[in-house]
Amino acid sequence: MRRLGPVGGALFAAALACSAPAASQGFNWRAQDGQTVNLMFNNHPWSQAMRDMVAEFTAKTGIRARIEIFNEEQFRARLTTLMQGRSADMDVFMTLTSREGAVFHRAGWYADLAPMMADKALTTPDFNYEDFGASIRQASTFGQQVVALPINQEGPLFYWRKDIFERCKIAEPNALEDIPAAAAAIKTCDSSQGAWAARGIRGVTPYALAAFIYNLGGSFAMPDGKPGLSQPNSVRGLEMYSNLLKDFGPPGALNHTFTQVIELLGQGRVAMTHESSNEFANIVRFPNRAQDLGVKVLPPGRDTKISKPVAIGWTLAISANSRRQQAAWLFLQWATSREVQAKLVQAGVAPPRASVFEGEEFNAWAKEVPIRRAWADALIEIGRTGTGVYQSPTDRVPEARDIIGGAMQAIVQGRATPIDAARAADAELAKLQ
Amino acid sequence: MARSRISNSFRWMAAPALIFAGSMIAFPFGYAIWLSLSDVQLGSEPRFIGFGNFRRMFADEEFWNGLRLTLLLYVVSLSLQLVLGTWLGLLLARFQSARGLVRTVMVSPFMLPPVVVGMMAIVILDPSFGVANWLLAKVGLPPALWLSDPNTVMLTIAGLDTWQWTPFVALIVMGGYLSLPHDVFEAAEMDGASGWTRLRFVTLPLLAPTLITAAVLRSVDVLRFFDIIYLTTQGGPGTASTTLNILAYRRGFEFFELGYASAIMVTLSAIVFGTVLLFARLRKAVAW
Repeated sequence: MRRLGPVGGALFAAALACSAPAASQGFNWRAQDGQTVNLMFNNHPWSQAMRDMVAEFTAKTGIRARIEIFNEEQFRARLTTLMQGRSADMDVFMTLTSREGAVFHRAGWYADLAPMMADKALTTPDFNYEDFGASIRQASTFGQQVVALPINQEGPLFYWRKDIFERCKIAEPNALEDIPAAAAAIKTCDSSQGAWAARGIRGVTPYALAAFIYNLGGSFAMPDGKPGLSQPNSVRGLEMYSNLLKDFGPPGALNHTFTQVIELLGQGRVAMTHESSNEFANIVRFPNRAQDLGVKVLPPGRDTKISKPVAIGWTLAISANSRRQQAAWLFLQWATSREVQAKLVQAGVAPPRASVFEGEEFNAWAKEVPIRRAWADALIEIGRTGTGVYQSPTDRVPEARDIIGGAMQAIVQGRATPIDAARAADAELAKLQ
Repeated sequence: MARSRISNSFRWMAAPALIFAGSMIAFPFGYAIWLSLSDVQLGSEPRFIGFGNFRRMFADEEFWNGLRLTLLLYVVSLSLQLVLGTWLGLLLARFQSARGLVRTVMVSPFMLPPVVVGMMAIVILDPSFGVANWLLAKVGLPPALWLSDPNTVMLTIAGLDTWQWTPFVALIVMGGYLSLPHDVFEAAEMDGASGWTRLRFVTLPLLAPTLITAAVLRSVDVLRFFDIIYLTTQGGPGTASTTLNILAYRRGFEFFELGYASAIMVTLSAIVFGTVLLFARLRKAVAW
C-alpha cells in the first residue's frame, strides 16, 4: 500500500474533517428506520385517503404508522384526554388551528416545527414551506412558533341543481338575495321538491352561516372588537340563513350537520345548499350529481357586492409529549409533500400547496369533468378572498360558535326575533372576551 | 375451628386485589372531586377554588335544564321499562314452547352496542328520509319530527331506551317469577282470587324485591344515559335533550372547562348514589 506523504496526509485529514459533518447533516428519509409513529385523525376525506396510502410512507422511510380515525366528537374527546394526561402514546394529530389553535398553543400541546424545519439534517431539501399560501401558514403560526402543517383547504360552497332550476325556469342565483327567491320559486314550481338544506346544529352552523353575514355587509365584531352580531347587517344575514332553514329547510333541520345535508343533496331531495367543499367528492358519487349540479362560492350581496367566504384548512401537528418527534416530522413532510398532495386530489382533497394547485396533474384532473373545474375555481377564489374568522374575537372559539349557532336556532324555533336573538348572543359572547 | 384459623391466615392474600380494586375506584373519583374544586385550564395545573364551580353550577340555567331533562328521562324510561318489563316477563314465564328461542330474541336488543342503536335511530327516525314516517304515511297518520322536535325529543329517546332495555327487565322478572313458591298461587286460586287480584295481592308483592333489583340496575344506566343522545341529537334541538351527562361532556371536551364539567359529574354521581341508596332501603322494606 502506497503511503501518503505529509501533504497528502494533511489533505486527506482535511477531506475527512469536511466530509464527516456533511454526512451527518445530510437529510435521509430512512434516518428513523424501524420506529413506529401513532397518528390520530378526524374522520375526513383526507384521513380516509391517507389510510390507503400510508404503506408508501413505510416503504419510503421504514417507519411504521399506526392510524386511528374517529368521528370529530370522539376525536376531540380522545385528544383532550390524551393531551391533558400528557400521554406520549400519540405522536401526530389533526387539528383545526383556526378553531382551537390559540387554546392548544397556550396549553403547550403543539411541538414547535420551526426548529425542525430549519434543520437541514431533518428536513428534505425540496420541502419548500413557502409553497403553502401565506394565509394558511399564518393560521398555524403563533409568535415564532409554527405549530402545524396544512393538509387541505376548504370552505363552504353554494351547490345548486341546475336541472331543477332549468325545469322551473329559475335563473342561477347571482346575488345572495336571489337564493330565498329561488327557494320560493322552486316550492311553487314543484311542492314535492325540497328547496334548501343547511347545517342546523349549533356549534357547526357558523361555518355555513358566516358568509351570509359577511356578504350582506355584517360582521361578528364591532369596530372596537366587541361582539357585533346585533349590528343591522349582521342581523340581516342571520335572519336570511335562519329563514331559509325555517321556511324551505327539511324537517328536523336543527339536528342536521354536513352528513345529513350531503345525503339530502346527493339523494336529490333538495335543490340548494351551502356546504363544505370537502364533501364534493362524496356528493358527486351519487348518481347524476356530477352532471346536474352546479357549484360556486356563495353569491355576493346585491347591494354590498361583498363576497367574503370562509376558508379554513385542517392541519397536522406533532404532540409536544411525543418521544418520536423526528419520526413524526418525517411523516408530516411526506404527508404534505407535493407528490402526496397531487395523489390526494383524486380523493377530492383540495391541496394547500400552490405548486399542486397550479400543477398540470391537478388541472388535467379538473378538466376531465366540468363540475370539477367549477369546484377548483371556487376553491381558488375562497383561497384568495376567504377568512378563517367566523366568530367574535375570543380564544374560546368553540363556545363562541356554539352561542352564534344558538341564536340561529332560537330564530328558527320562533323563540326569539332575529334582533333579540342576536342581542342575547352578543351579551353571552361578551362574557367570553 | 381449625378450618377457620386457616382461612383467617390466608385472608391477607386477598389484600392486593382489594387494594387494587379499591384504588381503581377511589383514584378516578377522588381526582374528579379534586377537579370539581379547581379551576382547570388546558395544559396547566388545576388551581383550587373551593366550591366556585358548584356556585356557578347552581346559578347556571343550563344545569337546571339538564337536571330537569335527566329526571324526566329517568322517570319516563324507568316507569315504562318496569311496567312493560313486568308484563312481558310474566307473559314469557307462561310460555312453555320455544322458550330458548324467545329468550334469545329477547336478549338481542340489549346486546346491541349503543352506537348501533343510535345509528339505527338516525336512519329510522329522520323526518326526511327515515322509514318511520314512511310507515306512518302508509297507515294514514301524519309525519312526526321525532328527535327533531323540542317537544318530542325526550319522549323519543325514552322510547328508544325502553325498546332496548325492556327485555332486560322482562328476563329479570321472569327469573324472579319462576323462582317464587307456587303453592301460594295455588292457595290464592283455591280461595277464588281472580287473575287481577292474584297479580295485585300475590304476584307483585312477592316480586317486589326482584323489581327493585331491576329498578336499581336500570336507574344507574338511565341516569348516566349518554351515547344514544349524543349520537342522535348532540343535546338538541337547542338544549331540548341536553341532559346533565351531555352538558358535562360538552363543557369538558368541547369547551375545555374540565373543572366545571367535573362539578356537574360529581353532582350527577351523587344523584345516582342517592337513588341506589334509596332503592336499597326500599328493598329491605319489601323483603319477605
